[in-house]
Amino acid sequence: MYLVYILIFPGLLFSTVFGLYLAGIDRKVVARMQKRTGPPVLQPAYDFFKLLGKETIVPGGAARRTFLIAPYIGLASLIVTVLFIPIGGLQAFGGMADMVVILYLITIPSLAMIFGGSASASPYAGVGVSRSMVAIMAYELPLILVLLAVGKAAGVNAVTFSLEQVTLYQQFFGSFLFDWRLIPAALAMLLVIPCEVGAHPFDVGEAETEICEGPLVEYSGAPLAVFKLSHAVKMFVMTALFTALFLGGISTGMLWLDVVIAIVICTVVTLLCMTLLHAVTARLKVEQMFKFFWTVVSGLALVSLLLVWFVN
Amino acid sequence: MNYDIYSHFPVLAVMLYFVGAFIVTLIGKRRTARNIVAGAVMLISLALLLALVGPVMLDGEIITYWMGDWEPAAGYAIGIAIEVDALSLFFGLLAAIAVALAGFYSFKYITQDDANGPFFTLFLMLSGGVMGILLSGDLFNIYVMLEVMTFAAVGLTAFRTWNPNAREAAFKYLVVGSIGSSCILLGIALVYAQCHTLNLAQISAILPGNLNPTTILAFALLFAGFGCKSFMFPFQPIAADAHGAAPSSVSVLISGVFTKTGVYGIIRVSYFLFRTMGLTSIQTMVVFIGCLSMFVCVTMALNQHDFKRLLAFHSISQIGYILTALGLCTGIGIAGGLYHAINHTLFKGLLFLVAGSVLYGTGTTYLEKLGGLARKMPQTAALFMIGALSISGIPPFNGFASKWMIYQATFEKAAETGSIGYALVTVVCVVTSVLTLASFVKVGQSVFFGQLPLEYENVRETPLSMRIPMWIMAALCVITGLFPEQMIQYVIGPASAAVLNVPAYIDSAMGAGYAALTMADYSYLAEPVISFIGFWDPVSWLVLFAIVMCAITLASLMGKRSRGAVTLADDERHAVFFGGEAAEYSHVAGADLFWGFKHNLRGYLGFMSRAHSGVTNDYVIWGVCALAVITAYCFIFI
Repeated sequence: MYLVYILIFPGLLFSTVFGLYLAGIDRKVVARMQKRTGPPVLQPAYDFFKLLGKETIVPGGAARRTFLIAPYIGLASLIVTVLFIPIGGLQAFGGMADMVVILYLITIPSLAMIFGGSASASPYAGVGVSRSMVAIMAYELPLILVLLAVGKAAGVNAVTFSLEQVTLYQQFFGSFLFDWRLIPAALAMLLVIPCEVGAHPFDVGEAETEICEGPLVEYSGAPLAVFKLSHAVKMFVMTALFTALFLGGISTGMLWLDVVIAIVICTVVTLLCMTLLHAVTARLKVEQMFKFFWTVVSGLALVSLLLVWFVN
Repeated sequence: MNYDIYSHFPVLAVMLYFVGAFIVTLIGKRRTARNIVAGAVMLISLALLLALVGPVMLDGEIITYWMGDWEPAAGYAIGIAIEVDALSLFFGLLAAIAVALAGFYSFKYITQDDANGPFFTLFLMLSGGVMGILLSGDLFNIYVMLEVMTFAAVGLTAFRTWNPNAREAAFKYLVVGSIGSSCILLGIALVYAQCHTLNLAQISAILPGNLNPTTILAFALLFAGFGCKSFMFPFQPIAADAHGAAPSSVSVLISGVFTKTGVYGIIRVSYFLFRTMGLTSIQTMVVFIGCLSMFVCVTMALNQHDFKRLLAFHSISQIGYILTALGLCTGIGIAGGLYHAINHTLFKGLLFLVAGSVLYGTGTTYLEKLGGLARKMPQTAALFMIGALSISGIPPFNGFASKWMIYQATFEKAAETGSIGYALVTVVCVVTSVLTLASFVKVGQSVFFGQLPLEYENVRETPLSMRIPMWIMAALCVITGLFPEQMIQYVIGPASAAVLNVPAYIDSAMGAGYAALTMADYSYLAEPVISFIGFWDPVSWLVLFAIVMCAITLASLMGKRSRGAVTLADDERHAVFFGGEAAEYSHVAGADLFWGFKHNLRGYLGFMSRAHSGVTNDYVIWGVCALAVITAYCFIFI
């Protein structure tokens, strides 16, 4: 049973397939919004398999082992993270990692990309590394504020870091998205997701038009395919985290139906916070993005924390 | 007493270092003999302390040893006592491990210096002083050992006499360190005048119920004095200079052990002697100082251009975590703080040794000059990654386990007291952690990755005798991170229980029943219970990670036929992409990084850089102001 969890649902197979599907939907809908036909939904999957067959060139001057291993470590740690997030009440491995651990686990893939790019010895990658790190610094402050607000709201007389308790609480008392005190936090979280995933308008680290995808500039073949896959899985992880934090209370009594609903919600959240933003905005500058996150987004999250703390 | 034989161990552990120091001086220039003596001394001391783990940590025995058999008479402890409870042993072990590893590293490391004769004399004096402070049960004895330690450390800071920075750093250290020492001496004098005894246990029994203006002043002086020794804010600039200039193996001791004696002193003063940690005002003060140290130092670290100065600021930033956790005065807070103390010694020791290896190999630690060393020193780079991920708190390494406990402790404290301030402390802790990560990404990009400058084409991997201590530290980083439950059960638990169990400490020295007779308030400051509000199971994580990794490997092996070849290019055609221009040396490093962040905080960062002026007078003013503020605060709020 555990192997099924790890390898098929919600682990390796499902998260990669569903991640690629989300990435495909995202591209398709953005294209439709911009009055283009757009690629087929399966395009990211085609890209993935095509890339696997391409030659991998490790540039001279690169730290080879780090360069080649980094993508795999990032992907594996992402997939392990999926196992700790309750999806529609289904938690593959309970009692192993809480919200704060997840906050740290989702930085590992970003770090893998940073160190992988860093190891390629390219100056474009160097700029990308610097920018990606600023992005991490930018979203970490609002994210921890959101988590603390949720942790305070879900702790009955105290506080909690446990995602299971957050889900349970919502099943009894209704989802947090419909709790007015937590609406600012939910908005903040919706803005954190594209930044963490590296999507428009916060994709400063991989800005294709300026620094040729930054850390990924020297990657080709299978490692690049794995990074693209990680990017897709990250969309799933972040939207699933949002669903668990703010919409964990949906319970029909049938586990499979809950799971399906959760998956549909993930798709909707993706459309809302990534596709819509992508279609209507242009990329921000690094310092604009950092300022936006440490003032507006953190402000929203802080308002929620204050409300949760002082208003019952 | 079943443990008679053990009771001689602590004093031997302290003495051996000093005896070793003298023998090393007598041996003079014969390097092998000197190394054998120093190595033997360090190993035997470590073994003696390890032998105490059984009785003290596991059975909860407290060892009291009266020097010259001068036991207390007529209710007063006149003689000098050595008293080892789980807390002392905890810090003692930490010190002994760091000393042994740094010592073995130094054998090879200092061969590059011409005048390396006095090195081990001072090194062992420093170690002996540290051990004396940690194991002593006598306040004045602590002061004497503190002076021995400080002067040895000053000497070692100036060890590279050809380096003007080293001499300047040593001078600053001497001047500002003497503020701390004089505070402590004056504090001790006031305590002695009030209590007529210098025995820690007896003072702990007499003093807490009798807080009057004199003892409050004494508390403020002792707190500021030990704070100075731990380099807490605003004493941090001295640490940066001293760590940066001293040889790396000495930085390991200054950062991993010397600063811990300051933390240990603060614990003894505020949990034992005065028991003021129970007061909300003092908790607020300690947590506030902890947060300031944490945040100010991490932002300063982001600004540095020198590997070792950067590490030095991080060192104080981590001390900030420890102080914050200890200032919460809850079971989990104390446990988290002590856990972080272990981890800090290990990962910071490792990182300083890595910096030392870089210096040994290339002759510089200046971030802008280095680059691409991972190709030349692969093992050193791997060790750096372990250290960097540990200090940045990336799971499953040890820094995460302890930081995670500190987050919970602060957040629980917030819920308990209903004060949102403590929740913001959690936020500061997390932000500090991510800024730490950023500055180590900077080091990684500047030193180990990126392009290799031509002049380092011939750099070779660190010698084996220097790598072994580093690998041991790295292994300890991984082990302490993977088994938090066992760590808490066998090491942290007893030590944090000892912090709260003052009556047992008093009774062991003064005879059973003394505490009940003398102490006004017999109760614990907090329940010694470690309660979690979340989960973290590193071993399961690792197992899952391994399974997923295997699955990915299998999948990619099965798809072998359809997969493209891997070309390891080293020719001109496959050099990195330069947008079509001819390839040139261009390494994005050091100050070029994190522009978006620095631009937004330029006002704050500029102010901080200007404030760290490097002028001794300024730092003395900071120190005196800190003392004045702490004293005023104590008088107003106690």
